[in-house]
Amino acid sequence: MASGILLRRGDPPWTLDYDGRSIPCAPGENVAEALLAAGELGTTRSLKFRRHRGPYCLSGDCGTCLARVDGEPNVRACLTPVHDGQKVVSQNRLVGRGPDPSALADKFFAKGMDHHHLMVRPRALNEIMKEVARNLAGLGTLPDRVDGRGATFRHEAPDVVVIGRGQAGRAASQEIRRRGLRCIALERMPGGAKHDDDFDAGVFGIYPDEGLICAAAVEPRATDRIFTLRPRHLVVATGARDPMILIDGNDTPGVVSARGLVAAMSRQHFRLPDDVVVIGPDDPGARIARGLNARHLRPQDVERIEGSDAVDHVRLTDGTRIDASLVVLAPRPGPASELARQAGAPVRWNGAGFEVQREHPGGRVPSPGPWTLWAAGEVAGVPTGRSAHDGQVVAQALCHREGAES
Amino acid sequence: MSHRVFVCRCEDVTTHEIEDALDRGLSTVEEIKRYTGLGTGPCQGKECMCTLVGLLVSRGLADADAVQPFTARPPAEAVTFGALAAVPESPPEKGGAS
Repeated sequence: MASGILLRRGDPPWTLDYDGRSIPCAPGENVAEALLAAGELGTTRSLKFRRHRGPYCLSGDCGTCLARVDGEPNVRACLTPVHDGQKVVSQNRLVGRGPDPSALADKFFAKGMDHHHLMVRPRALNEIMKEVARNLAGLGTLPDRVDGRGATFRHEAPDVVVIGRGQAGRAASQEIRRRGLRCIALERMPGGAKHDDDFDAGVFGIYPDEGLICAAAVEPRATDRIFTLRPRHLVVATGARDPMILIDGNDTPGVVSARGLVAAMSRQHFRLPDDVVVIGPDDPGARIARGLNARHLRPQDVERIEGSDAVDHVRLTDGTRIDASLVVLAPRPGPASELARQAGAPVRWNGAGFEVQREHPGGRVPSPGPWTLWAAGEVAGVPTGRSAHDGQVVAQALCHREGAES
Repeated sequence: MSHRVFVCRCEDVTTHEIEDALDRGLSTVEEIKRYTGLGTGPCQGKECMCTLVGLLVSRGLADADAVQPFTARPPAEAVTFGALAAVPESPPEKGGAS
């Protein structure tokens, strides 16, 4: 087992059970953070090559921290708060611990795997392959029991819905409420709600034809909550995320996204070990490395990231070896525009991702829905440092339009 | 570990497999998604799609002014069937809980 890559100040009061091991955890942490702090970096194996994988994005986007939590499969560890006595089981491993024969796939298919034609013929071989694929490549197995708790349903028709409570979303919802409109602000990362109309729920669907927004809060221990919302104005403030940087070994457990790590550290006040490496272009890599007190490397100078079940070192193109227990990928962020696109917003490529196109800076977004559509902050290509200001500008424009209409 | 550069970690799609797709004359986001499975795993393209588009644009295979992402469909977040089943067939027009 590797050493912990998130360090706490003080001893945590709780423990959770991870594959039969006792893992310390503290109130307010999520399962992924507790595992990383305990040095449990590899929590699953990959689909085809059966390589070790673990928590990477730390913000609910990627799929490699899926675990079985309290009998419920396919739960995102990074979105699930810990509790004392929690039962967490790793998924998609042939054997719980120790050597996994399926890991030979990584060696055997060293060049690559053409799964389109792999053992398709003859039919007898295909039957065997089907069994292997179904047993290895699947996600979690069925839940322990039928969940008879049901879910609570709530429908709201506020003046405004703001999706995201990051810098832009918070600034927008505060300004809108200050001007007397009812505003529901949704955020999928649990915790941090400060207002009765701050809902901790992730928006999973926007249906402009029906004029509906659907959000859900799914937590293994609590009753699921589902919301439908029918606002007159919709503000998308979903921020941005780190696209993958193309480096050999970029999937090694212990490689994490810069944005996810920085957010986790600000929520939980973790410290980092001494041997942290940040890989990314000068902007934002150098700035993030300074903030984390870590060494900055440019992607073109890195030959590969080395390690099997945990990062061990980074090898540079000039042959230098840099020991590292944590590698932070800091690419130029790409706007998280999926929900805006579901709402029908036009997007354009900005070199890092697809940003929402507004009529003019701070202006509205052309939309097919029964609402007026707005985008604020990084999702519209606004830099992090100006996101809060942008949220406020968008809120003022929205309220001005509301005043003109009413 | 074999040396691999991953574009899509959900479906284990490496740059090697992207090159193979390009060699076969596939060059759009949509074609490469269908051929390699990129973007079809638990993250639904949140981690890999922009990396792929960046690669296509840098090779001159996609026009930066015209390129578009693949379609974003619900559910964008995980939701249980139990939660979906709690929604009445026609949601109320006015606010309230049930």
